[in-house]
Amino acid sequence: MSDEQIMEAVKNGDLQQASLLFDRFHKRIFNFLARMTADRDAAEDLTQNVFLRLLKYRHSYNPEMKFQSWIYQMARNAFSDYYQQKKQREPVRMEVEKLNDRMPDILDAMEQEENEKRLIRALAQLPDDYRELLVLTRFQHLKYEEVAGYLDMTVANVKVKVHRAIGQLRENYFQLENI
Amino acid sequence: MDKETLESRIIDYIDGKGTEQERAVIESERAHNKTSYALYEQLREVMVTMDKVKPLEPSGKLKIEFEKALQEEIAAQKKTKTIFFTPIFYRAAAAVLLVMAGVAIGNWINNNKQQEKELAELKQQVDENRRVMMAMLENQQSASQRMTGLSVAYQMDKPDDEIVSVLVNTMNEDLNSNVRLAAMDALGKFSNEAAVRNELIQSLSTQKDPIVQIALIQLLVKMKETGVVKQLEQMTKDASTMKAVKDEAYSGILKLS
Repeated sequence: MSDEQIMEAVKNGDLQQASLLFDRFHKRIFNFLARMTADRDAAEDLTQNVFLRLLKYRHSYNPEMKFQSWIYQMARNAFSDYYQQKKQREPVRMEVEKLNDRMPDILDAMEQEENEKRLIRALAQLPDDYRELLVLTRFQHLKYEEVAGYLDMTVANVKVKVHRAIGQLRENYFQLENI
Repeated sequence: MDKETLESRIIDYIDGKGTEQERAVIESERAHNKTSYALYEQLREVMVTMDKVKPLEPSGKLKIEFEKALQEEIAAQKKTKTIFFTPIFYRAAAAVLLVMAGVAIGNWINNNKQQEKELAELKQQVDENRRVMMAMLENQQSASQRMTGLSVAYQMDKPDDEIVSVLVNTMNEDLNSNVRLAAMDALGKFSNEAAVRNELIQSLSTQKDPIVQIALIQLLVKMKETGVVKQLEQMTKDASTMKAVKDEAYSGILKLS
């Protein structure tokens, strides 16, 4: 059964089928949110929130829309809400020195090389729109066409922005090397 | 070539994209330009590292909490199921229920109408019976008809004023003593009514039929109508009163005093 068929069944009242969608998507959504928030606990809470939204707004699902687009849109909305709340509590741009304080759990959980941890720190320093583009295209391996659909951008514009984001990431990454 | 264009072409090159000519330009740039070479190396390291980053594993708690929330939602859905469910089956079921409810309400209305109709017919029947009974009571040509009319009146639970008036008139004026007695019996049944009681008391003074007089004294004694003692005493003193009536009057005075 396709994701769309399952979601239509959920929409029509077969809620138990939502469990299948959770199994198929929760890791992707969690990773997207974990990279966006750089906060593992917040990412788990937001992932839970996304799937609760799926249940709550099931009647608004359009079967002609790709389910993956719909759930990523909900994940983006969940992150946007989180970001707005966070913005009221602390400055948006993180200082490099504070980065380790903010993401110790997510880095400790990584069994990666030191350069991978530095890359995650460099990623967290990117503006949200750049970080989102890299998470979707380079970490989640979505095609430019899909991302262009989610973000309401042209494919060419996505490509230009992704390349600029990689350039900015390179600068952040090698700046962190010297700290 | 500006830095942004060069950077973009190097990224495409590392991704394995671009035409053969574009790739050749980058290879040449990398070989002959130290800055370009350094940029290439840095971008390659960043991009390779991005590819190496493994996905994070969420805790098992996430799945458990979602399943819990899902079961709560399913339970809530069962509680709030209404006719507005989208599946066609439920809509059809709701439609059937609505039709059944409609039929039931229709039947109920029909039954009510039927009952109203029956009541109207019954009322019409009662009115007709009453009309026949009154006609019988007033039939001066046939004592048996008047007796039949009285037996019908006797069956009534509560007579109206018109019937009481006819019964009183029959008790006092009818030419047939049996009819007068029957009329008195019928009135006796309704003696709880104050108007009937007064008519019976008054009749004791005007009644001339000894058989009716005796029966009326017995009835008034039975009704414990103490107000008639003076009338009974008067009857005992009246010379025209038959001895049997006087004896009954004495007996009545004794019982009511």
